[in-house]
Amino acid sequence: MTRTGATVVMEALARHGVDVMFGYPGGVVLPLYDEMLNWPQVKHVLVRHEQCAAHMADGYARATGKVGVCLGTSGPGATNLVTGIATAMMDSVPMVVLTGQVNTWAIGTDAFQETDIQGITIPITKHNYLVTDVDDLPRVMAEAFYLANTGRKGPVLVDIPKDVFQGKTDVDFPEATQRRGYLLPGPALQEMIDEAAELLNSAERPVVIAGAGVVWSETHKALAELAEKADVPIINSLLGLGSFDRDDPRSLGMMGMHGEAAGTIATQHADLVIGIGMRFDDRLTGKMSGFAPNARKIHFDIDPTEFGKAIPAYCRVLGDLADSLPRFVQAVKPAKHPEWWAEIRRWRESYPLIVPDDGRFLARHVVDSLNRVTKGNAVVSTDVGQHQMWAAQFYKFHQPFNWLSSGGLGTMGYGFPAAMGAQFARPDAEVWCVVGDGGFQMTLQELIVAAEHKLPVKIALINNGFLGMIRQWQEMFYDNRYSHAHMANPDYSKLAEAYGVGFIRVTKQEDMDEAVRQAEAIDGPVLVECVVQMEENVYPMVAAGAANDDLIMDPAVAPREKVKA
Amino acid sequence: MRRQHVVTALLENQVGTLNRLTSVFRRKGVSLESLSVGDCEQSGYSRMTLVVSGDDSDLNVVMGQLLKLLDVVDIQDLKVDSSVRRELALVRVGASPQQRGEIIEVVHVMGGRVAHLAKDDLTVEFTDEPRKIEHFLSLMEPYGLREVVRTGTAAMRVD
Repeated sequence: MTRTGATVVMEALARHGVDVMFGYPGGVVLPLYDEMLNWPQVKHVLVRHEQCAAHMADGYARATGKVGVCLGTSGPGATNLVTGIATAMMDSVPMVVLTGQVNTWAIGTDAFQETDIQGITIPITKHNYLVTDVDDLPRVMAEAFYLANTGRKGPVLVDIPKDVFQGKTDVDFPEATQRRGYLLPGPALQEMIDEAAELLNSAERPVVIAGAGVVWSETHKALAELAEKADVPIINSLLGLGSFDRDDPRSLGMMGMHGEAAGTIATQHADLVIGIGMRFDDRLTGKMSGFAPNARKIHFDIDPTEFGKAIPAYCRVLGDLADSLPRFVQAVKPAKHPEWWAEIRRWRESYPLIVPDDGRFLARHVVDSLNRVTKGNAVVSTDVGQHQMWAAQFYKFHQPFNWLSSGGLGTMGYGFPAAMGAQFARPDAEVWCVVGDGGFQMTLQELIVAAEHKLPVKIALINNGFLGMIRQWQEMFYDNRYSHAHMANPDYSKLAEAYGVGFIRVTKQEDMDEAVRQAEAIDGPVLVECVVQMEENVYPMVAAGAANDDLIMDPAVAPREKVKA
Repeated sequence: MRRQHVVTALLENQVGTLNRLTSVFRRKGVSLESLSVGDCEQSGYSRMTLVVSGDDSDLNVVMGQLLKLLDVVDIQDLKVDSSVRRELALVRVGASPQQRGEIIEVVHVMGGRVAHLAKDDLTVEFTDEPRKIEHFLSLMEPYGLREVVRTGTAAMRVD
């Protein structure tokens, strides 16, 4: 059937089940915005800055496992998306990013609002397209969704010139999408699964580090079976949180730079480390050469280029976890590790994560209250920094798809729009955004969008008047010389009033639980400003570049500890 | 181990493929010594030969990243003893009428060809293995190398 390029785009979105998209109009995308009015099944959310359209699409994807879609016009609209695209790329989040481009005949002439967004985004997309012929558009749109959501997921950008939106085509969508140069791994090799199982069967001090791959492949049940059958502790990478129930006695929480001490120490003492759907990120491993020195490593991943990139793996299991993990669980023999667990219990008891009860009001209390009142069942998003680490430490996730955090890129300003994207995707879910006063000020203009849509997203704003992690590093590594770590804040009550969102200010620990309940009771967005103690450090800590043996413990728990592996 | 690698890649012909490919090298901090590309036996595809020096493990990472590119269908790190490598060099050498005969003799002995003759110089085309080209250039050097243009290595696996 003959239809315009704009119709092809909307048809593609509808075919792929996109119920919400996030965008901002501009000159060259007007044909698409006009067409949009004919497609009520695809809701468009008008953001106030394109960066937030990308973060909302990212939050939508992380909260559902579906492809998130965002849209910007050419030039500044496209470049504003860049931070959000890079965020999604680093964390392998499936997104289709649509950008408008100047007319094909004007490309390369420095036309008004022209930018080479394809060139700009080569390193930060899984793949990208500039469509110069409307007949290519059905195939490209189908490919974009296919690529974004298969294999190692990621953002795919489609740049569409104005005259391609307006051009007409009768080319159909392809039946199947296939590119000769796109290789998806087949089923994992049985000999690798057997070898991995044999290594686990003979290990005495095994640990599993489960990452976001478990979340995306929805293999959390297989992971839980593995934990029980092999009696193995499950540690999470930052982005793997939620892939294993934090209340399970075999959960050791997150490890790494600010991970729980027991998991980090256990890994240093382990004789076998099994990385599942994770990439041995430097914030997790500490100094690579000092990571788990006595352990053989098994690495399960869907992306062969991750093998050996950071850590040389003894056994590599290439494939989709949906295939390989259940087969691995089946191949593993039931085991018990009472001595290993006795050691781990000792570390847990010696170096617990603590929530002080001494009259101070700390960021830890905010997350602890949230966890208690919501029973660990809310969707939680964060920016990057101290509050992110406390959220990761103290919020006890039970399910996957509830944790939205910029891990790889570490994007300030991510948390609030990501929470909104999640709330648009899951209107009935309780969604909390935990943000610092620094990051919130980067994207808070989206408050008006939350108010406009009566989005029941709740914001726990940790106001300590500092860029907390910057201040902590300046205290610890720059001799207390605070350089531009302190920042002024607006009057948040007036801000909330101006934007028409609910507001609660909390200044005492004992009021925090009640504030969470009050916010829950309000049908709409609520800004909960938590005015906490200005200076507080995240512990434990492994300094950047140090080995995981060198843990700086909370002074309230223990002196600096050298872990003897 | 740091050594020279000769890599061939089969590419789908798309706008910007070269850009994506070289972007991987730039991001990984590996520099290209030469690159040659042209049509191949499959329509819609090209074959490219890349010469890079680097650590084996770095190169493995780069090759993995290259293979992840949609436009890259296949990639191979060729072994010296099971590949044919050739490069074309165009060499303009200063040549007075007195020297001409002597230079042409050397060119013929080495298997080169005179492509152009001018009043006081001559242009030689010379095709061989890269190291033979180095040798040929050293023979021409005393006459004065006015300009040297090399195509970069083209290589093919042979069994």
